[in-house]
Amino acid sequence: MTPSLFWYLQEFARPVWLKKFFFARTAPLTTPPLFRDFPEPTGKPCQHVLFCMMVCPAPGAIDVVLDEDGWKPRIHKGHCIRCGLCVEACPNGVLTSGRVLATLQEQGTSLEVSFRIAIDRDLCTGCGNCATACPVNKEIDAQLGAGGHSSNEEVIMRVHDGDVRVLHEDKCTGCKTCENSCPTRAIQIARILEGKQQNPGGVSP
Amino acid sequence: MKRTVDVNIPLGPIHPCFKEPARVKCETKGERVIAAEVELGYMKKGIERIMKGRPWQEVMFLAERVCGICSVIHNMVYIEAMEQISGIPVPPRAAYLRVVANELDRMQSHMLANFSYCYTIEHETLGMYLLDCREQVMDLLERLTGARVTCAYIIPGGVRCDIHEEDLSFMLESLTRIESDLLRYTGMFESGPMIALRSRGVGILTPEAALQAHAVGPTARASGIAVDRRTQHPTYMKLGFATVVRHDCDNYARIMLRFDELFQSIRLIRTCFTGLPTGVIRGGGTCKAGEIRYSGEAPRGELTYVIKTDEYGRVVEIEIQSPSIMNIEACCHSMIIGADSIADVTSAFVSADPCIACTER
Repeated sequence: MTPSLFWYLQEFARPVWLKKFFFARTAPLTTPPLFRDFPEPTGKPCQHVLFCMMVCPAPGAIDVVLDEDGWKPRIHKGHCIRCGLCVEACPNGVLTSGRVLATLQEQGTSLEVSFRIAIDRDLCTGCGNCATACPVNKEIDAQLGAGGHSSNEEVIMRVHDGDVRVLHEDKCTGCKTCENSCPTRAIQIARILEGKQQNPGGVSP
Repeated sequence: MKRTVDVNIPLGPIHPCFKEPARVKCETKGERVIAAEVELGYMKKGIERIMKGRPWQEVMFLAERVCGICSVIHNMVYIEAMEQISGIPVPPRAAYLRVVANELDRMQSHMLANFSYCYTIEHETLGMYLLDCREQVMDLLERLTGARVTCAYIIPGGVRCDIHEEDLSFMLESLTRIESDLLRYTGMFESGPMIALRSRGVGILTPEAALQAHAVGPTARASGIAVDRRTQHPTYMKLGFATVVRHDCDNYARIMLRFDELFQSIRLIRTCFTGLPTGVIRGGGTCKAGEIRYSGEAPRGELTYVIKTDEYGRVVEIEIQSPSIMNIEACCHSMIIGADSIADVTSAFVSADPCIACTER
């Protein structure tokens, strides 16, 4: 006995199936709760500390540029690996990414950035390019000449007796301009990062 | 005596069964494999050269990009090596959280390894179940660290972020669900007659051959050799870690050993959560000069970092010794030889879980 047309319709045109076919639903695309997104500005004014640039592990992912209303960090999304180190290193909370900034403030964690200037005495020719190129030196002593000589005691480094002397290492912003201007690669800036926590906000089950 | 070789069959570098490119050249007589050779070098990145001269915050990200499957352990071993060099103490809470991240990573890696074995022996149903389970583990890892892979969770003197209360209860709930799912899948694998036909007695790696080829990790442990770097790790010693060993020496033993280790990882994570100490998660401390050889247990075996740093904590010299190269040697010298068919070559090769990205770096 061959089944009737009615049987076929009943069998294959089930309301549930038809509904699923015509109103197919996929799960909505949601952002996971702890997703680390690209860094976004929070709106706080950038103080031009440049720590974000100095700790960034991806070359060319972040730079700080001067806009008409002040300094602004700029993220290059093709280079950024969304590690969140810039958010952690910024002392002023200029950037945020996902829950990183909120977690930092809640748990009191921070990354402390400091810079050390290492000069290889064997390679240094005492040309003074580093002292002349240094942007901090330029601000402190506008009279700093091509030889790197300065009578100002407040500069980061100066040439004295044919040798570069580092006076104030703590003023270094880690920009590496001196490193790039050195003809013998004698000067090197080390970027030192230290993870710290003020108040333990730990939970335990 | 001259050997008679019928056909020299190359498998790979592009092969549906292999996750990563490697070429296995099998000399066959009829269907029987009488010799095999593994050819590597299809994905050299030169990552150790890039690492040189960089501070830890840059090398850390490069280290975890050595391997996409076991990224947390690369991060952990590198950072712990730097801590040993500089004498940085780790807060107990951070040490426990590190173990949690590491064990979650090991779970997802083992599940992926077992998936690819199931896929190789054409049991795709179980493979897809395992992949579904792996996604849940990846979600847990994201809950803890903020990223599924390349988490950048572990830094010298601690970890990046603490665990929230709601995340902790969510993770404990999920672990219960994952454990019950895994029990079912393990039962499917353990008692499946077709799986047993394809796995039992195939790819035999005797303990002597394993010792000779310096097999490490689950491959050695399935041959009855109790090697595990976790037994020497201070945090794991506190948690009462004991090595899992099987004595069957075949594909079946290797896969079952990974299932055993999954349950062991779940137990370890639970122990961590119940005994989670309070306190800080970052103790501070800067990296200093020194030289060290430090090992940790990756999902595939012993992972060693040889690091030399200068006075500001920058990496001067670095060498990475990854586990898979030893397992690949063991594979091509013992497991594949005498395989009854070419189909068993891929399954034996995959059961050793070779990670080519780690091997070639």
